[in-house]
Amino acid sequence: MGTFFHILRYKFIAFIKSTFALEFVTAVRGFGSLAVFGGFAVVAYLFSLGITQYVLEQAKIGLFLYHRFISMMLFVFFVAVNMGNIIVSYATMYKSSEVGYLFTKPIPYTQIFVLKFLDNFLYSSTTMFLMAFMVLLGYGSYFGYPWYTFLGAMVFVLVPFMFLSACIAVLILMSLMKVASQWGFRKVVAALAVLYLGIVVLFFRFSNPIKLVQEVNRYFPNVDAYLKGLDTGVLSYLPNNWVADFLFFMARGEVHLAVLAAAQLLTVTLAVFLILLFVANRFYYRSWLATFEFQARANTVERGKRIKLFDFRKESLLSPQMESLLKKEYFQFFREASQWIHLVLMVVLVAVFALSVRNLNLTLRVTEVQTITYLILYAFGGFLTCSLCLRFVFPAISLEGQAFWSQLSAPLDIRKVYFAKFVLGFLTVLFLGMLVAIFTNEPFLRITERRPLLLYLGIFSAFWVSVTMVALNLGLGGYFANYQEKNPIRVASSQGATLTFLVSLVYLIVLVSVVIVPLTQYFQSLFLFFPFDMTTIVVPGTLVGILSAALAGFASAVGLRSLARDF
Amino acid sequence: MTPLIEFRSITKKFGSFTAVDDVTLSVPPGELFGFLGPNGAGKTTTIKMMAGLFAPTSGQIIINGYDVVKKPIEAKMSISYVPDTPFLYDKLTGREFLYFIGGLYKMEKKAVARKIEELIAHFEIGDWIDKRTEDYSQGMRQRVTIAASLVHEPKVLIIDEPMVGLDPRSSKIVRETLRQKVRGGISIFMSTHSLPTAEELCDRIGFIKDGRLVFVGTQEQLQTYKQKYDGKFESVFLEITK
Repeated sequence: MGTFFHILRYKFIAFIKSTFALEFVTAVRGFGSLAVFGGFAVVAYLFSLGITQYVLEQAKIGLFLYHRFISMMLFVFFVAVNMGNIIVSYATMYKSSEVGYLFTKPIPYTQIFVLKFLDNFLYSSTTMFLMAFMVLLGYGSYFGYPWYTFLGAMVFVLVPFMFLSACIAVLILMSLMKVASQWGFRKVVAALAVLYLGIVVLFFRFSNPIKLVQEVNRYFPNVDAYLKGLDTGVLSYLPNNWVADFLFFMARGEVHLAVLAAAQLLTVTLAVFLILLFVANRFYYRSWLATFEFQARANTVERGKRIKLFDFRKESLLSPQMESLLKKEYFQFFREASQWIHLVLMVVLVAVFALSVRNLNLTLRVTEVQTITYLILYAFGGFLTCSLCLRFVFPAISLEGQAFWSQLSAPLDIRKVYFAKFVLGFLTVLFLGMLVAIFTNEPFLRITERRPLLLYLGIFSAFWVSVTMVALNLGLGGYFANYQEKNPIRVASSQGATLTFLVSLVYLIVLVSVVIVPLTQYFQSLFLFFPFDMTTIVVPGTLVGILSAALAGFASAVGLRSLARDF
Repeated sequence: MTPLIEFRSITKKFGSFTAVDDVTLSVPPGELFGFLGPNGAGKTTTIKMMAGLFAPTSGQIIINGYDVVKKPIEAKMSISYVPDTPFLYDKLTGREFLYFIGGLYKMEKKAVARKIEELIAHFEIGDWIDKRTEDYSQGMRQRVTIAASLVHEPKVLIIDEPMVGLDPRSSKIVRETLRQKVRGGISIFMSTHSLPTAEELCDRIGFIKDGRLVFVGTQEQLQTYKQKYDGKFESVFLEITK
């Protein structure tokens, strides 16, 4: 154990030195991170408090139903943390060079496993701890909990909840390695994706929220009671239910029952962690060795000789330089599992969002309600674009890595490199942005009797948001480039990335602020039957275009200058 | 004869630190120039300025008549650069990397294909050429990097530590290749720590110390220096760079 704490100590020292280095750039990045996280924290707190207040005082759905909705959201959160941990832990626990280094030292495999597991858990969950705490704070402020309740809830309920999700993720990952060595990596990943989708679909089928609302309403006005009979079988034994039950019993002042729910969660979390340690002791090192086997199997001479879709040997209509650049980007992306799997996941999530929103039934002809609904969907669409760009476009220049010398020393106008990356990012992001814009505007086509103005606004905004987000992330990704980092997820969650995200959010807020007034006027004119002056939307639209073009131009200039720096 | 490589009072500073200090030098066609010096002397910095990875603080580097800073694309058409650490794109095979380089030098596909086959045979790369470079050893990466530098038949070859990671057979192939290229009229600017390699291959040798060029001489001049000491190149090196 001495070695374990010895390593932890030096990792902590290294972390402190790199995070708090006395340099202007580090300070700027730190400030940016603080601003982003702080902003998110405040929004999370206010949102949580507001929703709790609205649901319990105005909608009056009762404590039980509210906490069952919380349970459903926690389930989604659990699955999201779980899937995120699988992807990130593959990079942290299997592809990190630190792991290879530690295996050459006289350190027990279990200790190496715990070190990297904690590294992965803390790295991928720190932001979520903050958000979860702020949501808890907002929720608990409504009930007037003392400060130690929040601390206790965080330490003994929320953190173990996320820890349990991470433990299960790593158990699944190690099992995946074992099975993949026989069936093949891609088949197993596809099977796992289908399994997760099935679990989510089954969960929402068995815990049908509409049916639950109808059943709870039968007990009205005793909707604050613990209606255990309405819980569906095995679902009541899921960890999200224990967290929801803890919060429910705390709200009712039944602390002993809350503690019982927390104790269930803690016991299961501890048991799963012990199982994880047992499995890791027997299998972590072997599963780590298996990654080399997968690599070798994917990297055979026969496979290399095969003529692929965008093979370098095939002729192309593009110039030789542009062809080389684009094909290199293609192979570097699609041959890296952490890239294409994550992209597929995000595309699926975007598609699920777009398709589910498409069927929204908007009947209330109230200006404020429709304006807010539209703005939420509009902002969320922008946020999705922002997240996509942060994850895939921001790391684009960093991922050139140390091999970038081959392009910088070639007779290549470096603007072509930038242009190739921009085009690839833009086309992907624009396609998804347009999908979201069109589908999220469908409900509004119905309420506006098929008037297309809002759809045009959505498409126009999607175009400019795509241009600006790609330019911003590529430009600042170049400015904050780290050619030593091979893990795209680490690049996308660096301080430079956080600062870029902050700028992106400010841009989105400005965008929403610009369209809010014309949007309100439009719905007003629609519902109150008076003519709508088109200049109300044309002027802000032009402003959006100018602002977006200016930001995109500035970011591109920054990015191009960064490529001219000493390498 | 117009030199293919010309340094005109080249200086490179990093903040207050001067890595290369007022270096003037020229290398004519058909010469293999050896660039030697202790660790941290400024060899790699000089080479990176030639390859376009660093911008000089002052002075000019002229390659085949073109200023590397003012006309970088024209200058780089004649250059090939081999870095000291052969980083490659992990997810590309060796063959794909060679095609990639060929494309960057605007070569026709058929010409690249022909050249690749020649280079695979010459450097004895074999089936490794169709495996992704993430599985390559250091030596194989070095072989592919040197092969990539010869795809477009450059006029100037800039090499930083060519023999690192090479086994004796590969090392022999590389040395013979360099000699052959020099006989064909190209200029080679080579940095190396290997004194036997420098003695064997170089027509002229320059020593850099603390960023300054402290000695430039032919093999004959070097022999004269060696006579003053114990006849060993190592002693000359240690004396000049102390």
